[in-house]
Amino acid sequence: MTAPERQEDGAVVRVAAVGDIHLSPDCRGLLRPSFETLPLCADVLLLAGDLTRHGTVPEAEVVADEVRDLGVPVVAVLGNHDYHSDREADIARVLTDAGVSVLEGDRTVLPVDGGRLGIAGTKGFCGGFAGRSAGEFGEREMKDFVRTTRRAAEGLHEALSDLADCEARIALTHFSPVPDTLAGEPVEIYPFLGSYLLAEAIDGAGADLAVHGHAHLGTEHGMTAGGVRVRNVAQPVIGKAFALYHLPLTRTPEPSGAGNAPGRAGRPPAADAPM
Amino acid sequence: MDSGENEYRIARFRERLARDDTAELGVRVETRGGAVLLTGTVPTAGEREEILRLAETELAGLLVRADLTVACIDPPERPEELL
Repeated sequence: MTAPERQEDGAVVRVAAVGDIHLSPDCRGLLRPSFETLPLCADVLLLAGDLTRHGTVPEAEVVADEVRDLGVPVVAVLGNHDYHSDREADIARVLTDAGVSVLEGDRTVLPVDGGRLGIAGTKGFCGGFAGRSAGEFGEREMKDFVRTTRRAAEGLHEALSDLADCEARIALTHFSPVPDTLAGEPVEIYPFLGSYLLAEAIDGAGADLAVHGHAHLGTEHGMTAGGVRVRNVAQPVIGKAFALYHLPLTRTPEPSGAGNAPGRAGRPPAADAPM
Repeated sequence: MDSGENEYRIARFRERLARDDTAELGVRVETRGGAVLLTGTVPTAGEREEILRLAETELAGLLVRADLTVACIDPPERPEELL
């Protein structure tokens, strides 16, 4: 059903994305010249967390100045560095004041040429991947650890489900939903880099693209078990100011059992299912 | 070479990199033969120098080889078409 529509329609949304820019006052203005080219090439800029180095307000002000009045909407999630000084609420406020939509278990819809782009975001958390993950069992600290991830995944699932009528949907996280994009990182630390619960939420609610950061030594390309493309846009990975993706604007088919069966695989296979 | 003691020194150096002043988690620190190898990408040349300075202090007496690159901040040349 979707394949012929995609061929005929041809409308795309142009998505710029970068994470892990780790700005601090000594790199003020570093990314601005490249970001100023965005109105020429992109409809939206996604920031995949770790925008600051130590999570301080002065660092957040540097980030705000880099992205203020860019001429394209800017949508962000925070990362673990942005939480380091316990000032995450202030950091979100500084960014919001600069016009950035900061998502945490929340979503935003942007009108783009030919449709609506829905973005659902959460920082996410870690715990590992199917078969090699932390369990919600035992000490209070261990259960709190896993529940933190579970809550983030539930928020993401709910936010994505609310975007079901958008022509394109993106899941934006800081931590990784899949191990694919961690290749290059030491295998022993994968459980600290992401969680399969995020991928389960993405596949359960359905999305066209998942964008994350956090894994500086990883690789750009991956895919969830349900067939959603995943891109690690950590700046050291993409090796440029931002990555650019052209995403077709065609309504995502509802995953079977969406909304009430987050464990099910996401999009049904389509004739043009990406490899 | 007392490899046991050196292993803990290298672990302390990794922790030092992750702590407050540098907060650098993207640098890989490994032993290669008799040397300590630092690899990864950092945001600025200043930070690269800071890490090398820390390595000199914390790993004094060990052979340190660094292959740290500074992130490119140019716009991309072309998009990826997600068809």
